[in-house]
Amino acid sequence: MNLLSGASFERLQGAIDTSNLRQKVIANNIANADTPNFKRSDVSFESMLEQEMDRNSSSLIGNRTDSRHFYIGPQSGSMVSPQVTTDETTVYNNNLNNVDMDKEMSQLAQNQLKYNALIQQLNHDIKMKRVVLEGR
Amino acid sequence: MNISNSFNISASALTAQRLRMDVVSSNIANAETTRGRYVDGKFEPYRRKMVVMQPYQEGSFASALQSELGEPDVGKGVKITQIKEDQAPFKQVYNPTHPDADSNGYVSMPNVDVLKEMVDMISATRAYESNVTALNASKSMFMKALEIGK
Repeated sequence: MNLLSGASFERLQGAIDTSNLRQKVIANNIANADTPNFKRSDVSFESMLEQEMDRNSSSLIGNRTDSRHFYIGPQSGSMVSPQVTTDETTVYNNNLNNVDMDKEMSQLAQNQLKYNALIQQLNHDIKMKRVVLEGR
Repeated sequence: MNISNSFNISASALTAQRLRMDVVSSNIANAETTRGRYVDGKFEPYRRKMVVMQPYQEGSFASALQSELGEPDVGKGVKITQIKEDQAPFKQVYNPTHPDADSNGYVSMPNVDVLKEMVDMISATRAYESNVTALNASKSMFMKALEIGK
């Protein structure tokens, strides 16, 4: 029934969305490389996802007997959403701007490769499902 | 999520850097212009122009709506808000044969320092290049997304 909504499929979707968001953030950092007082932003997702998955393996889970109860421990089907953080603490340039062009460029390349890998993985998933459907 | 937004961000930077380049060109072209403006019956030399850049922000309603919708706030690129004139004093050059020389033989020349302009030009060129790289990266990601499910 849930052919296209497995956990890995949703995680892939979340990762692709995050990659898109990161592309925007990096593009904005590069665009503002000469803007006085601009502070660079970052997208954190992988570390949060890791935390969430670690939490999934922890044993303490609160038993909810009422819909008004708080969640204790991991929630089933909870999705991590990416966060944009701005680095206000450093100063790299004379004009209080902290965009490091080398860092942005390498992150741009890294993000692009990651995006390609994710799309490839997604296509692989779809191809496997197609094999099941067509039976050959 | 809308990837075309990252195109717009890079495009805004390309526009801004191009304008910066135009201003540098104008400054260099007018480095010897003694009749930049006619003020009170007298010619004034050309004044060096400078650009003021600022991160592009949308109106408060749009950003408030976006944060209510739970979408993370990403910047919207860059824009040039102002072209300012340098108020530094004009260079005085002794040249009695110049048509705009004063009674002592001194001519007011524009306050353009060609060295400064060259540095600014290199900076604008490099910034333009890196934004083109970012734009190409966005483009190839977009093309890759079209391959989903092929």
